[in-house]
Amino acid sequence: MDKLILKFILFIVKTFLKKDVDYEKLKIITETKLILDRRRVRVTMKQKNNKEQKNQILVTQIVYCFFGLLIGMVVFANNNLKLSITIIHSYILFMMIMTLITDFSSVLLDTTDNQIILPRPVNSKTFFVSRLVHILVYLLQFTLALGLFPIIFTFIGFGALVGIANIIAIFLTVMIAVFITYLMYGLILKFSNEEKLKDIVSGFQIILTIIFVGGSQILPRFINYAGLDLIKLPIQWYTYFMPPLWMANALESLYTLKANLPHVMMIVMAVVFPIIMFWLMIKFLAPSFAKKMAALGNAGVETKSEQKNAFNNKLPLSEKISPLVCSSNTERAGFEFTWKMTSRDKSFKMQFYPGLAYILVFAFVFIFQSGKNISNTWLNLHNTKSYLGLIYLPLFTVSTAVTLIAFNENFSASWIYLSRPLYKPGTLITGALKTLLVKYLLPISIPLLAFALYIWGYKIIDDFMFGFISNVFLLLVLTHINKSYLPFSMQPNMTQQTGKFVLVMLNFVLIGVLILLHYFATKIWWLPLALIPLPLVGSYFLFRTIQNYGWQKISN
Amino acid sequence: MSIIKIENLKKAYEHNFVLKGINLEIAQGQIVGYIGPNGAGKSTTIKILCGITSDFLGEVQVMGMDVRKNAIEVKSKIGYIPELAALYEALTPVEYLKFSGKLYNLDDATIATKTNELLRLFDLQDKANDRMTSYSKGMKQKVLLISGLIHNPEIIFLDEPLSGLDANAVILVKEILAQLKLAGKTIFYSSHIMDVVEKISDRIIIIDKGEVKADGTFEELKNNAHEGSLENIFTSLTGNSEQTLSTAHEFINVLNSK
Repeated sequence: MDKLILKFILFIVKTFLKKDVDYEKLKIITETKLILDRRRVRVTMKQKNNKEQKNQILVTQIVYCFFGLLIGMVVFANNNLKLSITIIHSYILFMMIMTLITDFSSVLLDTTDNQIILPRPVNSKTFFVSRLVHILVYLLQFTLALGLFPIIFTFIGFGALVGIANIIAIFLTVMIAVFITYLMYGLILKFSNEEKLKDIVSGFQIILTIIFVGGSQILPRFINYAGLDLIKLPIQWYTYFMPPLWMANALESLYTLKANLPHVMMIVMAVVFPIIMFWLMIKFLAPSFAKKMAALGNAGVETKSEQKNAFNNKLPLSEKISPLVCSSNTERAGFEFTWKMTSRDKSFKMQFYPGLAYILVFAFVFIFQSGKNISNTWLNLHNTKSYLGLIYLPLFTVSTAVTLIAFNENFSASWIYLSRPLYKPGTLITGALKTLLVKYLLPISIPLLAFALYIWGYKIIDDFMFGFISNVFLLLVLTHINKSYLPFSMQPNMTQQTGKFVLVMLNFVLIGVLILLHYFATKIWWLPLALIPLPLVGSYFLFRTIQNYGWQKISN
Repeated sequence: MSIIKIENLKKAYEHNFVLKGINLEIAQGQIVGYIGPNGAGKSTTIKILCGITSDFLGEVQVMGMDVRKNAIEVKSKIGYIPELAALYEALTPVEYLKFSGKLYNLDDATIATKTNELLRLFDLQDKANDRMTSYSKGMKQKVLLISGLIHNPEIIFLDEPLSGLDANAVILVKEILAQLKLAGKTIFYSSHIMDVVEKISDRIIIIDKGEVKADGTFEELKNNAHEGSLENIFTSLTGNSEQTLSTAHEFINVLNSK
């Protein structure tokens, strides 16, 4: 797809401005950039199979296309043009911004260009055009992926005139998306440093991943919601701040061929605003950015250091907690190290944090099974035993972290473990496990407990206590029967993935059995409480065992 | 009595011997330069001496302890500064040194004061709370030096300690090594920078293909080899200067061809 679009654009360039632009160089530069685009690791489900994908970007676009199909269905789900167009454009605007933000530094402002292309004999016009062509190809292929089905459906639903106008409107929305992206980047850069910027960008990537999974669960339910026809969206003062509504109102007056003053205003907003924004961007925003980014890319440039004195700042949270929960210096080292790394390591966050959000999605799916009336389910909830699901859901995600924390890009730094006098390296592992308990399992379980208390009342407290300790016990069992790795000491690769799969299957079986046992235990009201010592004693012994792992137990 | 004793040390990676019978005795308080071309077995020797690699043939004693049986005791009394500046870059130097120090069982207060002072002496106090992703190779090397010395070890093993450091830092590290020697510490290091080795080493050991080729003070080596600088001695023992010359010649020829 990208190559086709590139050929098309290059053809236009060839016919119009051949004189100043070195066509052969332009071709090789843009082609290389597209290859790089294809190979960049993307957010979509890619974490699951880590093998080299030939065309990462295409997979993403297929996913976008599929979501476009779902969103486009809104045209048929009701006969409300304004609402349909608003939803479609909101989708395109949102997805475009998210995509552009995560790819910002490699597409909109590619500073590596400066190091790689500027030293070569390429004239400035060719350089400029190559950048422009690359951005155009990138935008066009994503616009196509996002807009394909919505456009087809508007043609079918509202006729050719609105269909054609919608194509134009979608391009205008994409222009607005580019502008907003620049603006957001500018704000982030203004108020934080490069390190934070990277964190924020990976945060956006995590949100995107969550949307992919959550969206496919929640969207179909939403589209089938009966009340859609009744939503009117009249033009109010806030309409002037919502670009998708401009497009919707403009298209509506075209469809009904009626236009009062507010509608005319909307048409003007829809057409003139994106053009002004775009002009502002090319004229002012982009050049000032290029300067800033070039400075950031330069290692020699001083970035703001937050504290001058190394020890004047107060203790970070992990170091406040570690003396309370850890028994030795080594365990504290493992605990604090894992705590900090899990907050910072991008590949860990990308693989683990979406899982946290799935807990909510699955809780939703678990409670409101499809095909049933939502409000009836809600009213009947307190008569069911759905809370058993809430108790054990967090473990699915938290247990994936047991293998995830073994892997890191910086794995070669793990020489430090071998060179330090450690009698019982297992202590580092229990330190890391304690991080998983204190940082993740406990804080996730508390809001779930609060929700369950609200629905089912105090009688489920003993179930939660038994469940929490069982979760800890299962986490220890999974750690013990798996290969033991020291935190962040392994190279991320295929073995990581296969290991994960086995672990996930094992998880399902163990947790399933536990839920079943727990379910039968609830038949006798005092039984869950009476059973608590069982996982408690088990956890204690397993904990001791892991703590005493010698070097021969550690895999590498 | 020697602080390091190596007897007939052999080490093979998949039937390929990288060390073919090394015999060395090193006295306390010496600075020993251990040099050789790439792949000569320098890093392997250092890893064995530090108790990191335990799978070897022969006898190795450090401070009178068998490095195989007493690896942990050996590790707690020595400092190891490895070659590639590999450390957890997501941490700040303060955090990394805290992590490293705790693995030596130092208490928080000791780590805090020492880290603060040592980072200041290395001119890193301004960046002490920045993550090391933004650090240059030389800055990381400084952090590694601190992390290997913070527990005040008796013997210090350094693998290419000067790589990536700027000229001022090289002088500082040289001076620190000299001061450590005055304090009675033993220093065993490998390096490629010949003029530094020439100046600060009490004893120079040249190895090539897993064997000791020369061993002695710089003066002794010079007298034996009849060559002027350490660099010349080194190439005459380990290199093939004619072949190097012809490779360079060929390289230019390829560039000139159409």
